[in-house]
Amino acid sequence: MPFVKQKQSETIGQDERKRVRDCASLELQLSDPNPTARRWAARDLASCPESSAALVEQLKQEPDSSVREIILTTLTQLGDELAVASLVDFLGSEDVALRNEAIEAMKLLPDEVAPIMGNLLKDPDPDVRISAVNILESMRHQHVETWLKEVIEQDAHVNVCATAVDLLGEVGTDYSREALENLKIRFPNEPYISFATDLALKRICLA
Amino acid sequence: MTDKSISQEDFFKFREFFYRKTGIQFEDSKRYFVDKRLIERIVATESNNFRNYFVMLRFETSGEELQTLTNLMTVNETYFFREEYQFQCMVASILPEITAQKKDHSPIRIWSMPSSSGEEAYSIAMYLLEYWPGINQWDVEIISSDIDTKILAQARLGNYGTRSIQKLPPPLLKKYFKCNRDGYQICDDLRQAVEFTRVNLMKPADVRAYREFDIIFCRNLLIYFDDLSRRTAADTFFDALNPGGFLLLGHSESMSRISSLYQVRKFTDSVVYQKSKEAQ
Repeated sequence: MPFVKQKQSETIGQDERKRVRDCASLELQLSDPNPTARRWAARDLASCPESSAALVEQLKQEPDSSVREIILTTLTQLGDELAVASLVDFLGSEDVALRNEAIEAMKLLPDEVAPIMGNLLKDPDPDVRISAVNILESMRHQHVETWLKEVIEQDAHVNVCATAVDLLGEVGTDYSREALENLKIRFPNEPYISFATDLALKRICLA
Repeated sequence: MTDKSISQEDFFKFREFFYRKTGIQFEDSKRYFVDKRLIERIVATESNNFRNYFVMLRFETSGEELQTLTNLMTVNETYFFREEYQFQCMVASILPEITAQKKDHSPIRIWSMPSSSGEEAYSIAMYLLEYWPGINQWDVEIISSDIDTKILAQARLGNYGTRSIQKLPPPLLKKYFKCNRDGYQICDDLRQAVEFTRVNLMKPADVRAYREFDIIFCRNLLIYFDDLSRRTAADTFFDALNPGGFLLLGHSESMSRISSLYQVRKFTDSVVYQKSKEAQ
């Protein structure tokens, strides 16, 4: 039969690393010219709890999308204060890919993002507030509806409220009914708000 | 009192959400199957109605209920030639591309994960022998891995019940198996064709030696993972593949919702994921 078992299969589990794998060396390898080495360094840094700063610094300048993705995975695994704070910074980035990557990463960190969600939803930049609502879309947390209700009660920006209403159409309950009805009064000249609010209220009634 | 009804709108809403989270798409014809399981979980979680259950499902921090429901909605079984169209795609479309770009004529390396009791890996070997003319010119290395050492031992033994061989064409059953009192024993040649290894996909130390694969089969595994683990697995496969290598997932799974590392390739028989040829 033309099937072979090479010596590689014998060495599985006994991998000899070409580079030193301590945390300090791994951080240095984040700037290795070879993207494969950078990916492996980023991946192995998941076991180095103090490595968020180095990962964030590399992420800001990393040209290779595959390395960026693995850095973000590792930052999500670390999920420490610095990692989360950096993801928050990226929400305001001009780099659309980085912004979206940060949103996706933050969706995976409900416990870490929850304490700062209130501040995110009050950020002066409406794009950051919209990103925050987008994070809520897939974030598993019991306060999601409370946050959304606060958005439609308090946020002055129509697009932020519209994003929140869309989501309330899926997850809203009686708890949000009054806030939804008031939203139409707050934005009387916005046809989309009127449409989305009526739809959300209809779905709540049907429930 | 529990409302055990699932409206059309509920069904659509759930279907869209479940697809987004797991990649599993239910056709309208599966409505009864889906409703039955949803109602079972609504009752079990004392959610009173679909809406309450759906809100809990979406926002429960632990994700436990989503996992429970996913397990209910999927059928965990394996058998020879399961999702055969992917093997057809392998011989008709993928291998010709791989051999065209392999200038050094090194062996074609295939990784099947999770191995389970070995049906997939042995199916690959059989399919190559039966339907790929290139098998006469190329060496092939098949490695099949699982986290469960007991199931790996079973795979190495290669003894199967009737359920496992149900989709095998009778001539192949006759050619590659011997009937014995325990069921069907796969022939020694095929047993020798596959290397079975234990690996935990989530442990970098376990997976870092798995490199230079041309094809990875990882079917119906990621649906059991949480979002972060799926992403970690996608990253791992990326570095395990050669540039231009292919990743095949289960028919209900989609890499597009997990990672942006791969290019989607649509062949006649299947949608598969490819690591860019230019990737380093």
